[in-house]
Amino acid sequence: MDAPRVLLLVVDDDVRSARRLAQMLREDGFDVDVAADGASAIARLTRSPIPTVLITDLHMPNADGAAVSTYARSRKSDMPIIVVTGYPQLASQLDALDPKPIVFTKPLVYAELSAELARVTS
Amino acid sequence: MPLEKRVLDLRRYVGFGEPDAAHLAAVRELLAPDFPRIAQDFYDKIREHEEAHAVLTGEDQIARLQRSLQVWMRRLFGGTYDAAYYEQTAHIGQVHVRVGLPQRYMFSAMALIRLELARLIEERATPSDVSATKAALNKALDIELAIMLEAFRDAFVARIERKQALEKDELTRRYAVAIELTRELVVAIDAGGAIRLFNAGAEVATGFGREEVIGRPFGTTMLSEESRARFDEIIASERPASTRFDAFVLTRAGKLRDVRWEIARSAGDLETFVIGHDNTEENMIAERSRQAEKLAAIGTLAAGLAHEIRNPLNGAQLHVAYLERTLKRANADTDTLEAVNVVGDEIKRLAGLVTEFLDFARPKPLVRKSTPLGSLMERIAHLMEAEAKAAQVEVVRDLPAKDILASVDAAKIEQVLLNLARNAVEALAPMNGGHVTLRLRRQPSRAVIEIEDDGPGLPGDDAPIFDAFYSTKPQGTGLGLAITHRIVTDHGGSIEVDSRSGRTIFRVALLLDGEPT
Repeated sequence: MDAPRVLLLVVDDDVRSARRLAQMLREDGFDVDVAADGASAIARLTRSPIPTVLITDLHMPNADGAAVSTYARSRKSDMPIIVVTGYPQLASQLDALDPKPIVFTKPLVYAELSAELARVTS
Repeated sequence: MPLEKRVLDLRRYVGFGEPDAAHLAAVRELLAPDFPRIAQDFYDKIREHEEAHAVLTGEDQIARLQRSLQVWMRRLFGGTYDAAYYEQTAHIGQVHVRVGLPQRYMFSAMALIRLELARLIEERATPSDVSATKAALNKALDIELAIMLEAFRDAFVARIERKQALEKDELTRRYAVAIELTRELVVAIDAGGAIRLFNAGAEVATGFGREEVIGRPFGTTMLSEESRARFDEIIASERPASTRFDAFVLTRAGKLRDVRWEIARSAGDLETFVIGHDNTEENMIAERSRQAEKLAAIGTLAAGLAHEIRNPLNGAQLHVAYLERTLKRANADTDTLEAVNVVGDEIKRLAGLVTEFLDFARPKPLVRKSTPLGSLMERIAHLMEAEAKAAQVEVVRDLPAKDILASVDAAKIEQVLLNLARNAVEALAPMNGGHVTLRLRRQPSRAVIEIEDDGPGLPGDDAPIFDAFYSTKPQGTGLGLAITHRIVTDHGGSIEVDSRSGRTIFRVALLLDGEPT
């Protein structure tokens, strides 16, 4: 009786780190898609299946994390969003979103992300 | 010109000699019975004339003046015209001036008297003498008039001189007021270098009263040691022209003020004026704004750099987490795992430094709220308990019974107090323990917080402990006290340290609620 698989979308223009993060998350039982910029992330969000959780950087080429988050919520209005950024103060751009995204400051502590994912997907 | 000489001049000019004197003396007794009547007529005429009458004060005075006029007529025909005679004439002129008789009436009045006396001479003198006696009368009266008129001139000159003197006094007084009103320091020094003048501006800037510095040498009384040599050199030079120089002034309280002096000495004058402009505040403001600009530039740079550093740190940390997980699964040896842990710790430290630096360089705006400072300090004491116990430090609370409210950003002030309390506990490490006291006191417009420890004290008085990147701790970032200082000054408060071996106090003063920041 396997629980339904949780699909995560990881968005970061640092491709090597995004891939390594995806690998660790997969090892921990998640399905993970990776996008290397805002535009690809939005493109991915147009397709099904819609990701369960969005994990995104803020400062990126071709549409930033705020645009990606807003689009994600238009697809699924209560999609949990986890922002991982070197500019935590930029997260104030996302104040209009409800519920508010969780914000982690880079460098990301993997254990903290794991705990947050466990919480939002439970 | 003395009166005697004036009279001689006049007599020569009109040709009044001994024969004239004799002619006049010869008719005196012939005319004398009419003198009272002439005087009476004269003053009756004056009564008819408004402006001339205005100088008279009453019947008593008129009676007196009529007698004087009779005396004068007897004198005129007296035959003796010596210095005493003309002194009296001059005196009559002075009286005319004193009572304010307009000088033009002297002529008209004299004309009346002249006509009447001439008529009497024609009537009573020996016919062969009439013409010569009339001529003598005319000459004598002209001399009288001239001398009396001199009094008007003298009075006029004296009045002009008095007015000029008054104006000069007034001007001098106004200059003196200006010197006392200016905020500039104005000091006069005599040839021996002693202070001779010390204005109010100098008193305010130095804290010295003029009574204590007048007569004392300027250099040693006013200037800091390093400025004296330069001053002595300038003052000793022969150039009287003005020279500027910057010197520190030593105040009565022992503080230094940054003063730009101008030395002014007019040629041949023995006094030298030194005029100073106190630049201390201006320089301090300029220094502060330079510091603020520097900080803003650092902030911009740091913010850009922080993002750039956080991204590679993020990559490194993720890969370290991955390595750690993989090594554990492969049952790697302890040394290898330890090595990976160290890399992870160092990354975290670097990340912490970036965050602290951003806090310092790009502080978030304050969110002020009325906060009970005593409760806040109680909380700090509580938070520090475990750390203090581990270091064998006792935390002492010295808080007022009535809490003190201040409008502050509670989270930031908590950061300040935690930082100071941690520093205090750490300072006690070499002594294997001690006491840290958290003290709160109320002053008229401020709350004063003290964090005191009985540790070894700061390394020196001049240690730039509030500067960024100054640290005495091997693991310190050198930003803790810089951030602390910044937070306190952003609140409009002040922070100072008072340290000696065995007692160090960090004192934070914050404005109370309702005080202008």
